[in-house]
Amino acid sequence: MKYLSLLAFPLMFLFAGCMDDDDSVTGGEVATTVNFRAEYDDADLSIQSIAYDYPTGAKLKTTLFQYYVSDLELLPAAGGAAVRLADIDLIRYQSETDGSVTSRTYNVPVGDYVGLRFGLGVKPDLNAMDPNEFSADFVLNEVQFWNANARYVFAKIEANADLEDDGTFDTGLTYHLGSDAMYTTITFTGDFTISTTANPELNIVADVFKALASDTESFDISNPDQQRIHGMNQAIGQDIWTRLAGQFELQIR
Amino acid sequence: MNIPEPEAFAKIIYPPDNPTTEEGLALGRALFFDPLLSADSTVSCSTCHLPELAFTDRQPISVGINGRLGRRNAPGLTNVGYLHQTLFWDGRADNLETQALHPVADPNEMGGSWQLMISKLRRHPVYWPQFERAFGLKELSELNPDYVGKALAQYQRSLISSDSKYDRVQRGEATFTEEEALGNAIFFDLADEPNAGKYAEIPTGECAHCHIPPHFTNQLFSNNGLDEANSLDDFKDPGRGPISGSKYDNGKFRVPSLRNVALTGPYMHDGRFNSLKEVVDHYDAGGKYAENKDPNIIPLGLSPDQHRALVAFLQTLTDTSFVSQGVRESESQGVR
Ligand code: HEC
Ligand code: HEC
Repeated sequence: MKYLSLLAFPLMFLFAGCMDDDDSVTGGEVATTVNFRAEYDDADLSIQSIAYDYPTGAKLKTTLFQYYVSDLELLPAAGGAAVRLADIDLIRYQSETDGSVTSRTYNVPVGDYVGLRFGLGVKPDLNAMDPNEFSADFVLNEVQFWNANARYVFAKIEANADLEDDGTFDTGLTYHLGSDAMYTTITFTGDFTISTTANPELNIVADVFKALASDTESFDISNPDQQRIHGMNQAIGQDIWTRLAGQFELQIR
Repeated sequence: MNIPEPEAFAKIIYPPDNPTTEEGLALGRALFFDPLLSADSTVSCSTCHLPELAFTDRQPISVGINGRLGRRNAPGLTNVGYLHQTLFWDGRADNLETQALHPVADPNEMGGSWQLMISKLRRHPVYWPQFERAFGLKELSELNPDYVGKALAQYQRSLISSDSKYDRVQRGEATFTEEEALGNAIFFDLADEPNAGKYAEIPTGECAHCHIPPHFTNQLFSNNGLDEANSLDDFKDPGRGPISGSKYDNGKFRVPSLRNVALTGPYMHDGRFNSLKEVVDHYDAGGKYAENKDPNIIPLGLSPDQHRALVAFLQTLTDTSFVSQGVRESESQGVR
């Protein structure tokens, strides 16, 4: 696995400039897989089947984790227009049988790339449209449309918590997040090559634990006012949203 | 043929190999109301899906051929063509074409065998020519169960309802009474809105996370807390679990549409609640414990007025013109 660093970026840009011409002459596209991986505290996320430790003493079982991704794009080393892989997608883990990896395969032009970016949430021009404007099987018809003011729910984290350590997971936690103002573009810089011979696996990793907690500062799930964030009630949600948006990682294998 | 659809709904997805045609629709409608499809010609689809009850049957658990008790409550078929994800309480059918093959051969429903049914239809003086015209069949041997499924699907896709009071309020053609408006505010959590005004202090019902408009279902599976289960193996009817293959899905059922819900009682997959009042009692109490109970099911703390208001809101989902259209269509099907 290699983590991409900011430093590599300008160098790659220079070298790739001339090599890229060759690639674009040969042209062609290669089926490339992007894996959306879900984790809890750096381990594969499991829906329901694992009781996770939470730093404030509780245990929880995740029942749902989902988020919208807008404008998923690769950034070509040669500069120029980004390569759009998807306008909008919904990444969802809702059943134990879903596993912790959601894979999508895109046809990507061969060439050198220096990064990947996407918008977390539903981009404003789509967020302005109503579900009936789309096909019934489009991802914006996955009934995440809350109401005319709040629009689509960008992300949901839901769990049942055992706060008293009595073996019953009887406190519901439901965090439904999103608004135009919260829409966040997440950019990863770093180099990789897509060619007919070398085809890296791109992994976008989201960690539910990191959206809620850290070693030093954890969201207080025992506070009844912090167990339910819905609709336009986003003041507390902003904190989780900022952490959620800040914890994404790109891993290239 | 082009069946008009309401502006407010994302369009029905017609399968490319079964577009609705006038002949196919008429055939499907005739088959739906015809007991010929059962082993002893006593039970039709409409025995359990009565148009006057928004295509339900007033029974907690459906009763089929020879009075045999089925397993679950018959769901309504209002706007069923819009449910493009899965069908049945446990989602075991993928589309209306294949769904229709289940009841005919189910020993507790129509008790027939497809082989027998097909030979009846091939010999039938009215149906065979209708199949010929609807699907361009040339030889008797081409008639197979798939065409019966296709015709029934075409009819069921025509069961479109968008003229309830709720719909008319959305279109600005009607207004809720004060009580209905309060129920609407509870159903849709208006207390969460920044400018909630007079609704700022009312409970949030949390209903629309699952029963989301326009069809009042998210088509997903959840445990809404009907049965206490200290172990996930304890559910009497495991619902989704055996279909998905995960015990964590035991006790989950597909969220039902609430369109015409005032007509579709008794309620839930086993018809355990006789009235909408009992349904609201259930949600108000926050459901019973199971570790996979959906976390959106929480005690609501409704006052008696708020309780009544929520029921009044649910009653605005009744579309009487849809119901009378279904009744007219059933009456126009002569005996064949
Ligand atoms: C004996 C009563 C009975 C008969 C007869 C019957 N059904 Fe049903 N129907 C049911 C029950 C009960 C269910 C729910 C079963 C389940 O989910 O496990 C159901 C479910 C359905 C559904 C799924 C609806 C949804 O929302 O998922 C459709 C569609 C349907 N029936 C159509 C038909 C058609 C078409 C026929 C005739 C070929 C028919 N039914 C005959 C009782 C009946
Ligand atoms: C977590 C999702 C969820 C929430 C929230 C929810 N429901 Fe349900 N609802 C369901 C499911 C699932 C069923 C079917 C359960 C079963 O039969 O096992 C159901 C069934 C019903 C039924 C019976 C429909 C029928 O045809 O039998 C009514 C009525 C209903 N809900 C109303 C409400 C109201 C009112 C609220 C808010 C107070 C609400 N629901 C909140 C998931 C939900």
